[in-house]
Amino acid sequence: MKLISRFTNRKGQPLPDALSQSAEAAKSSSEVDRREFLALASAFGATTATAYGMLGLATPAQAATPVMGGTMRLEVGVHALKDTRTMDFAAMAMVASNWLEYLVEYNNDGTFQPRLLADWSVNDDATVYTLSVRQGVTWNDGTPFTAQDVARNIERWCDAEVEGNAMASRLKSLVDTETNKAAEGAIKIIDDYTIELTCASSDITIIPSLADYPALVVPESYTPETMLTNPVGTGPYKPVEFEVGVRAAVERNTDHTWWGEGTGAWVDRFEFLDYGTDTSAVLGAVEAEEVDVTYNPPSEHLELMEALGWQVQSIDTGSTVVIRPNQKAEVGGTKPYADVRVRKALQMAVSNELTLELGFNNKGSAAENHHVAPAHPEYADIGKPVHDPAGAKALMAEAGMADFEHELISIDGGFRKDTADAVAIQLRDAGINVKRTVMPGSTFWNDWTKYPFSITDWNHRPLGVQLYGICYQSTAKWNEAGYSNTEFDALLEKAVALADADQRREVMVKLEQIMVDDAVIIQPYWRSLFRTSKPDVIGAEPHISFLPQLYKWGWANA
Amino acid sequence: MAHFILRRLGVMLLTTVCLTFIVFFLTNLTPNLEKLAKSEANARMSDAEVTRWLAEHGYDQNVVTRYGQWLGIVPSPKLTDPDGVTYTRCARPERPAEIAPKFCGILQGELGFSSVFKIEVTDAIANRLGKTGYLMLAVMCVMVPLALLIGILSGMREGSLMDRVLSAFAIITTSTPEYVSAIILIAVFASKNSGISPHFVEWGLIEGPTLFKASAATALRDITFSNFTLPVTALTLYGMGYIARMTRASMAEVMTQQYIRTARLKGVPFRAIVLKHALRNAMITPFTIIMLQFPWLLTGVVIVETIFNYKGFGWSLVQAAGNNDIELLMGISIVAVVVVLLTQLISDIGYVYLNPRIRVS
Repeated sequence: MKLISRFTNRKGQPLPDALSQSAEAAKSSSEVDRREFLALASAFGATTATAYGMLGLATPAQAATPVMGGTMRLEVGVHALKDTRTMDFAAMAMVASNWLEYLVEYNNDGTFQPRLLADWSVNDDATVYTLSVRQGVTWNDGTPFTAQDVARNIERWCDAEVEGNAMASRLKSLVDTETNKAAEGAIKIIDDYTIELTCASSDITIIPSLADYPALVVPESYTPETMLTNPVGTGPYKPVEFEVGVRAAVERNTDHTWWGEGTGAWVDRFEFLDYGTDTSAVLGAVEAEEVDVTYNPPSEHLELMEALGWQVQSIDTGSTVVIRPNQKAEVGGTKPYADVRVRKALQMAVSNELTLELGFNNKGSAAENHHVAPAHPEYADIGKPVHDPAGAKALMAEAGMADFEHELISIDGGFRKDTADAVAIQLRDAGINVKRTVMPGSTFWNDWTKYPFSITDWNHRPLGVQLYGICYQSTAKWNEAGYSNTEFDALLEKAVALADADQRREVMVKLEQIMVDDAVIIQPYWRSLFRTSKPDVIGAEPHISFLPQLYKWGWANA
Repeated sequence: MAHFILRRLGVMLLTTVCLTFIVFFLTNLTPNLEKLAKSEANARMSDAEVTRWLAEHGYDQNVVTRYGQWLGIVPSPKLTDPDGVTYTRCARPERPAEIAPKFCGILQGELGFSSVFKIEVTDAIANRLGKTGYLMLAVMCVMVPLALLIGILSGMREGSLMDRVLSAFAIITTSTPEYVSAIILIAVFASKNSGISPHFVEWGLIEGPTLFKASAATALRDITFSNFTLPVTALTLYGMGYIARMTRASMAEVMTQQYIRTARLKGVPFRAIVLKHALRNAMITPFTIIMLQFPWLLTGVVIVETIFNYKGFGWSLVQAAGNNDIELLMGISIVAVVVVLLTQLISDIGYVYLNPRIRVS
């Protein structure tokens, strides 16, 4: 208790007791525990320096500062811009995030840093958030950025009536389930620079959600159709070219004084070049010296790029692939995957280590079939899954499914197809009949939650409970496993109210165990993410959840 | 002649109407509309959201009505969602729904708005067709003379050594698909670590790291020898052999005709026989084949465009089909019909000049 007074949030208010206790525990333990602590402390409003200070560490020094100026060419898909809150993958925010910014930013070390917010504080049971808006920020049309803007954006995000609004499910605790809009009184403007959010229930995912890629802060005049012709935003750049599927470019907005001047936005002009999904075209572009950075190169090209003198950077993440039977799916009039024995048999027939090697070139680490990563704060080690092909065959026969032919569906191309192939081979080796179906990317996503047995890739989320809330809660929109377990749901409700990662881990042990016992998914590995760039590019490391932070990128030399 | 051309244009119009209706019908099947909704709003939407989105954007109307709207003979309704946002298919970024006209179809000169590229279909097609046009022109300029030369040289003395060598070459190139020859070309000419480029750099023959570029992306704005050679070569190699073989067959057949024998017996020099007597008659078949190459090039370039990342017409077709971009697909169908029928019209008219026995009436 004596420790508490030393550590405060940005406003000088003391941080919760639980945090200081976790800090003590994290001091003596592994890298992973430290990261979880940093994530937690900063989500509670501690500055990065304070968070590191609580661990008795100094904030790591930033790498060399890039020089101002230059043009940088990035190989990345140039997707059509659409309503920011409906963005369905991170690359979509790549271009728009240069003039529209985020309230909060999530970093590779697990910390959350304020951007358009100056800071925030949370009450002990994580139901009331007080957000302070950064002062001195202006929109590039000259109007000041205030609490009104923040409130308007959060209301926008909470509008579940909008088809495909991905933010509404992230901010569930602020949404009124009756009206499908922000709940009455959930968003209160206290003064010009302060906002108070009141959640319907404890919710520790609010700050992580505000940092996610669809949470771009848009101006009052925003419409998806005119976001290019009228690019009002707070960021340092403005769009100058945009051709879907081909190229886009942004340039420094010289008519606008960016609030963060001097702390980033080193490059004068970014070009985004789309080389399609054919990975050899990307390699061709590298050879032809048409790009400086590749967004997400396939692991089999890393050595080739290194041989061309490029730098390869990687990061361990909670990005993964999940091979899941859908428990509610009907095949020929029956529900083959409603039987836990069938699911368990599929799990037992597959060795996660082998799948990692065959399907992903060993560019990651083996996972444990419960979708909580060592990179998550509340991760609990419940042991490795059992690999027993003979037992799998026996169990399948016991369930009366020995002759059933499973159809494993995957998207075409890349590691998802390779991984599905690797799993299918192992199932066949165990004596289980499997047919493989490969679908092109344009049709795969149409029914992705409904396939009886298929593979899906999931991006990293800062907290393990977020993933459970998104994918496995019985009411979750993306519940692709058709999973419904009241005990699991109840425990999850409990876990999301626990701000302290250690307390949460105690619940998490049970949740993870339920996931394994119910054999909900085969989850073979955690992916490492890579980025390759010319050797004199600084700050373009891969981001743990693909967030675009281009203001950090720059050239080492003029 | 005028009557013939008019009749052909009439057929073209009829074919276009039939084909566009078929394409429209297919792109408006329920799974395709679902795909459109998901690529437009959010890939991970629920079924209820998809249905709501489709209704709010007028896709729940009858197919024939909507085809009429596309033609511009049925008014496009203005739909308002519960939040008071109005939508009409005639709305554009610079022309909000409130002031958009009721009719916006072919008859009003509007091909619609591309849902993938977020630009007018007319602009999308004109731009991409132009890019492929450059590629086609370059390929035709190299391929046609080369193919005819090989065909004539090997056909004029059937069974000679020259015939055997050239025929073997033509068969090998035409039986090597573009995706194979393109990769070989890249490995040989456009790699820093393999092929001839490292040697050339060592000997000081070339400045840059590679002789040619493995990517034609820069050719979209500025065509140079180094970025355009490989795609043109890959397409030429594939298309050339076919024309050369046809020319050879036609040439060989003409060379066995009675009038050629007569000319030889009269002592006309071989050179003059080939150029004056045989060539024109031997050109009829290759002429049709060459004309058929235009529609093939228009869509057959997809693979080469993808490998060399040259974004032309074939690429936009793939993008449109992949995302079920209805209005762009319709526009592309019109272009395809026009190109096929127009080149056939030209080849029919060309016959008249090549063979005086044919009359178009």
